[in-house]
Amino acid sequence: MEFTAWFGKLNINEEGEVEDCQAFEKDPEKLAEVLVSLQETSRDEAVNAPDLRQVALDFGFVELDKDYDIMLRDVCIRAAKMQISKSDTDDTRIIQAVEAMDDIDRNVNELSERLMVWYGRYFPELPLKGESLANFVAQYGSRESLPEDHKFFEKAANSMGSDISFADEELLRHLASNICSLYDTRSHIEAYIVTNMGSVAPNLSNIAGAPLGARLISMAGSLEKLAAFPSSTIQVIGASRALFKHLRDRAPSPKHGIIFNNIIIKNAPWWQRGKLARAFAAKISLAARMDCYSGELDPSIKENLDKKLEMIRKANPSAPKKEKKGGKSGKGGRSGRSGKPGGSNKKDGNRRSNNKKKGGKQ
Amino acid sequence: MSVEEIYNGIYNITIDDRSMLATRNLIPGLSVYGERLITEDDVEYRQWDPNRSKLGAMALKNFEIPLEYDSTVLYLGAASGTTVSHVSDILRDGIVYAVEFSPRTMRDLIQLCDQRPNIVPILADANKPQSYAHIVDKVDAIFQDVAQPNQAEMAAVNSKYFLEEAGQLMLSIKSRSIDTVASPKKIFKEEVRKLESGFDVEFEVLQRKELDPFHEDHLGLIAKMFVDDGE
Ligand SMILES: C[S@@+](CC[C@H](N)C(=O)[O-])C[C@H]1O[C@@H](n2cnc3c(N)ncnc32)[C@H](O)[C@@H]1O
Repeated sequence: MEFTAWFGKLNINEEGEVEDCQAFEKDPEKLAEVLVSLQETSRDEAVNAPDLRQVALDFGFVELDKDYDIMLRDVCIRAAKMQISKSDTDDTRIIQAVEAMDDIDRNVNELSERLMVWYGRYFPELPLKGESLANFVAQYGSRESLPEDHKFFEKAANSMGSDISFADEELLRHLASNICSLYDTRSHIEAYIVTNMGSVAPNLSNIAGAPLGARLISMAGSLEKLAAFPSSTIQVIGASRALFKHLRDRAPSPKHGIIFNNIIIKNAPWWQRGKLARAFAAKISLAARMDCYSGELDPSIKENLDKKLEMIRKANPSAPKKEKKGGKSGKGGRSGRSGKPGGSNKKDGNRRSNNKKKGGKQ
Repeated sequence: MSVEEIYNGIYNITIDDRSMLATRNLIPGLSVYGERLITEDDVEYRQWDPNRSKLGAMALKNFEIPLEYDSTVLYLGAASGTTVSHVSDILRDGIVYAVEFSPRTMRDLIQLCDQRPNIVPILADANKPQSYAHIVDKVDAIFQDVAQPNQAEMAAVNSKYFLEEAGQLMLSIKSRSIDTVASPKKIFKEEVRKLESGFDVEFEVLQRKELDPFHEDHLGLIAKMFVDDGE
């Protein structure tokens, strides 16, 4: 059997004795590289390792016991450093990616707008915009190049747009294809964020989803800052525009920041949203702290969040009855799927104080 | 002031009727995490806060800590090295292999390793002892504090690989990592049962005690492997 130790390859016979040792070069940096690759490729099968220290002494890799420790420690520290720099838990690249995505969005919107206005002179009837318009123009250019079986062929044939010159057509196609590649880059960045959030902030991704998690990190300035925020702050991150509006126009004060975009909250009936958002923010804060200080995924945070959300839903099945109808109820339009009707309406009166106890039993 | 060595390398220092746990500072002058340094008879000690260390709590709760100055120890769940630093003090002629799988935490641990000659850092998952079997030899003791649902299994697998026949396992079990609602007592009973007969190595539990008031819902235990001598 062959066994690779950190200092060399060993040949082990049936009796478990080491017959031969091909030592590696005694260069700590090289040994550390070997060690890292050994760790990465180690398989699941059980190994019966010999007494490594003794082998190293027997085969003269080191002369003294003490040397073995010194060398091993040196190599392991180097290896761990290599692994750390490889693992790259750096959150700045996530922030860069989120900001690059925003830059692209801004630019692509402007350019798409330009394309629509400009190309609209030649084909005003075309009901496309954004990415699909860019794709269309990049592919066909002039409306006259549409094949007969194209779904907009009729529209093109009867268009009242002006005729396009060759130079304009070339230019617009060029512009359009650049817009397409920006959209393409954007989706690359999105995928990048999802993959990399897995190592930078596994818990946050698990709770909030990678895109929202990344945005929270970016708005907070760093994972560390996000982890330091109390959950009440996390709840309103990204609400600054609403906050200004509130100050300026006396609009209702913002209750939710970008975490409100989360599908769980967005799709909930209005009277549950505040409670859900609060629970959600609390777990996001916990997840960010976990990511910042341990970096290890703890599935129980998500499980607890799910339990908590379920409790809130069950404890608040229908809209609270209010004395006077506030402006809020208008927003309730989207809340089609409120809890089961006739659930526990009679308990409405003291529902608040009972929330906690009840949730557990239901 | 009086200094009493209660276990190898572990001291009880009494100053003005107040006693505290301490280890003898391997690197005099350096405090690792802000702990107090105390000098008596030209020897410097580092205060060891049992609230920040399961092993420290075990020492205070009269566990027979099976360490000697020249022991080799496999430490699973080293984190940034609060407790590892004290183990490093205790093993003044020994060595501690410190396994931690979070790269972020490992960064801090490495700084500690740079200062102390007897800590070997290993960035690896303790669920995969194969991934450090080409580094770690048989050890005299294993200490594990990982706060994971499969704590008992992890301890068993590592003991099988690395624990010397006569060696001992020191384990901290956190009930809340296993189940947040079930009663800790029940969980501890089940974990002990698993260690005694649930895996392909079996243990004899020598001592077990909850670690309160230092750590709520934690059980400390010391066990040794049953050696199969019926050949
Ligand atoms: C409670 S902390 C340990 C504290 C440390 N023993 C002390 O007293 O200073 C648990 C540590 O175990 C680590 N850990 C959890 N699962 C692990 C695994 N499978 N392999 C290695 N380390 C693990 C975590 O990253 C965390 O740093």
